[in-house]
Amino acid sequence: MFFRQAGIHHTDYRQDLKIFPIPVDRWMIGLLLALAVLAPYYLDTLYLNSYLLPWLIWTSAALGLNLILGWAGQFHFGYAAVMGIGAYTAVHATRNAIPWEIAVILGGLTSTVIGIAFAFTALRVKGLYLALSTLALQFVMDWVITHVPEISGGVQATLQAPDMTLLGNPITTDTGLYYVVLVWCVLVTTFMLNLRRSALGRALVAVREKDFAAAVIGVNAFFYKLLAFAVTSFMGGVTGAILIFCFYHAVTPEQFAVDVSIQALAMVIVGGLGSVIGSYFGAAFVLLLPGTINGLISTLAEAMNIRLGIEVLAHIPNALYGFLIIGFLLFEPLGLAKIYNNFRNYLLVWPFGYARK
Amino acid sequence: MRSLKFLIGAAAAVLLFASHTAKAADPVRFGLCYDLSKAYTFITPQVAQAARDLADLQNMKGGIEGHPVEMVLQDHGNEPQRGIECYERLKRDGVMVFDLLSTPVSRAVLPRAMKDGNIMVQALVGRGDAVDGKVFEWIFPVGPTYWGQAANDIKYIKDQAGGNMKGVKVAFLYIDYAFGQEPIPLLKKLQEIEGFDLKLFPYPLPGNDQASAWSQIRRYKPDWIIHWGFSALHVVASREMKRNGIPMDKFISVNWMNEVDINNIGPDVAKGLKRGTSVVGGSDHPLKQEIKAKLYDQGKGNGDIKLFDDSYYNVGLAIYSTMFEGARLAIKNEGWPLTPAKIKKGLESLSDFDANGFIAPLTVTADDHGGGGKTRIERWDGTKWVAETDWFAAYTDVVWEIVHEHSAEFAKSGK
Repeated sequence: MFFRQAGIHHTDYRQDLKIFPIPVDRWMIGLLLALAVLAPYYLDTLYLNSYLLPWLIWTSAALGLNLILGWAGQFHFGYAAVMGIGAYTAVHATRNAIPWEIAVILGGLTSTVIGIAFAFTALRVKGLYLALSTLALQFVMDWVITHVPEISGGVQATLQAPDMTLLGNPITTDTGLYYVVLVWCVLVTTFMLNLRRSALGRALVAVREKDFAAAVIGVNAFFYKLLAFAVTSFMGGVTGAILIFCFYHAVTPEQFAVDVSIQALAMVIVGGLGSVIGSYFGAAFVLLLPGTINGLISTLAEAMNIRLGIEVLAHIPNALYGFLIIGFLLFEPLGLAKIYNNFRNYLLVWPFGYARK
Repeated sequence: MRSLKFLIGAAAAVLLFASHTAKAADPVRFGLCYDLSKAYTFITPQVAQAARDLADLQNMKGGIEGHPVEMVLQDHGNEPQRGIECYERLKRDGVMVFDLLSTPVSRAVLPRAMKDGNIMVQALVGRGDAVDGKVFEWIFPVGPTYWGQAANDIKYIKDQAGGNMKGVKVAFLYIDYAFGQEPIPLLKKLQEIEGFDLKLFPYPLPGNDQASAWSQIRRYKPDWIIHWGFSALHVVASREMKRNGIPMDKFISVNWMNEVDINNIGPDVAKGLKRGTSVVGGSDHPLKQEIKAKLYDQGKGNGDIKLFDDSYYNVGLAIYSTMFEGARLAIKNEGWPLTPAKIKKGLESLSDFDANGFIAPLTVTADDHGGGGKTRIERWDGTKWVAETDWFAAYTDVVWEIVHEHSAEFAKSGK
């Protein structure tokens, strides 16, 4: 009833290639976009700049990682290092009077160059060995940043990021920063959504499934893996730069340490490999859930007048969060996006559920 | 059955978002955004417990100038994003004084606190150059900086060497990370001034493997070893010291050394070990005795009594005695209702405040938000900490030179 497919027919290839052929999908996307654009007007600033803004930034990051992990099927344990390279480059560039837009693109390009350099060596191996090679990228970046004061800003290891400027005008309000992040997130989402109907997407899927079979039919596996690394690194670099300029306003090495890499991986895996909406869910899950559970447990403890020790009260949310990850993955190993997909498949034929085989 | 699940889900959803509660304007509120679950768990339970105990004690005495004290404690798990969320949420609840007690999170929240004009307490962690009150107007790192501590350690070594440091060999053992690397520029400057022999011995994260550093130290045969580590790193260091046959008397630690570490090392093995500190150790002090009598003996303590005897508990009492005194001066001199500007003035009028002999005397001014950076060297004699020196602050000109160098960087890049 909702996802009525009767009456949808295509008369040319262009219509056939539509990303959202069912009208209700298009309405939902339109509604979400409208909600996102109008968010500063109905959301309290706390939720806007401490929940929604980091969520959108990390969704962009997870989408970038999804390209290489979900679509190309290559492990990447050094994604936070890639974001860090972009962030540090962009901050250094703006501190040297380069316009912000160019600085951010420069950050992306630096990440791409370094990402490709590592990929040349890393792509000689597969699977877990590739994972360790990319982990090496992460550790090397950590070491370089803490030991080269020209990059890290000295022993204080904090570099203040100047105000971000668009066409020379500084953007300092919550709303302005939010819109910049929203634009970037929409761009990345559109790119990822279009992958499924592009040649690049098909090539990546072929490489993911069986790279030697792809090579047999003429898809240069090494080239496309390298391309995937490059595009992911670019998106990661730009997202890292935007994370610093729009959220943290200062860059330190801890923001791009190995545990952040693992968190990014968790976002993609819990959300669903290769799924765009999965990246949104995964980012919300990993980023926002620990804090929310923390608040819930504290409120519950207060409401029920239980006096727990400080440490117990701090560790229960972590345990609960771990259980939730295990629970969700046991319930649906393919991630949160698959849960949504199951729900949507049910609604596709509702109320004629017997029609689906 | 389904409706029950729905009700439970709805109730959970309501509770999930019901974290805003109405607060009266009457109490003096402190926002404690601490890392209670990840990296700083070796100090935060003690400091949080001390803060709450001190608040309860103060409320028993009628509060600060008649206003009750309220401590809002929230966990941020050492993640900058959650720290920022904690700061933003508590800011909207009317909290004006924040304590983050975590270097990465302090660094993340500092630009926001400066922009919003809220007081950020950054005692013993975070940016060392924040003692420059002219640049960091709203940040109060009351206590010594790591540079000040290193300078004081060198002064102690100089006094032990009879005033002339030529030929004295100092080994600086540190974890190869920002925390450990911080004193190095100052030590190098002091090496130029005093002419002693300085050698650096880093060991990699996470710090369990110090073997190579210590075998090099054994070959170097230093007169003094300054260790910049914390918690388990001290235990590993002492084990390596014993293995390499170096006497414990040569060991000077940074202020992050407590009874838990001593117990892990072994109280007898640790005899002779020294640490620099700005807070009196042990439970002999009248303030602690009062807390014990009025709270713990009545069963009203805010946590385990075991944490009460910990040095980090004393650190918590020290930080919050200073904050309460600053708030008290603010209310007395500037009047109610409190604003961050008034609290700033109150804190800046602290003069020779030592919380009844509990901490190194602090004199906070508009230029010096650190309070002078005094520490003293204490020695473990097998059962308790014994003060080796009086409260002193040495090479203050060298330390301030470095502070101004770094704070100028911050001032240049804006906000």
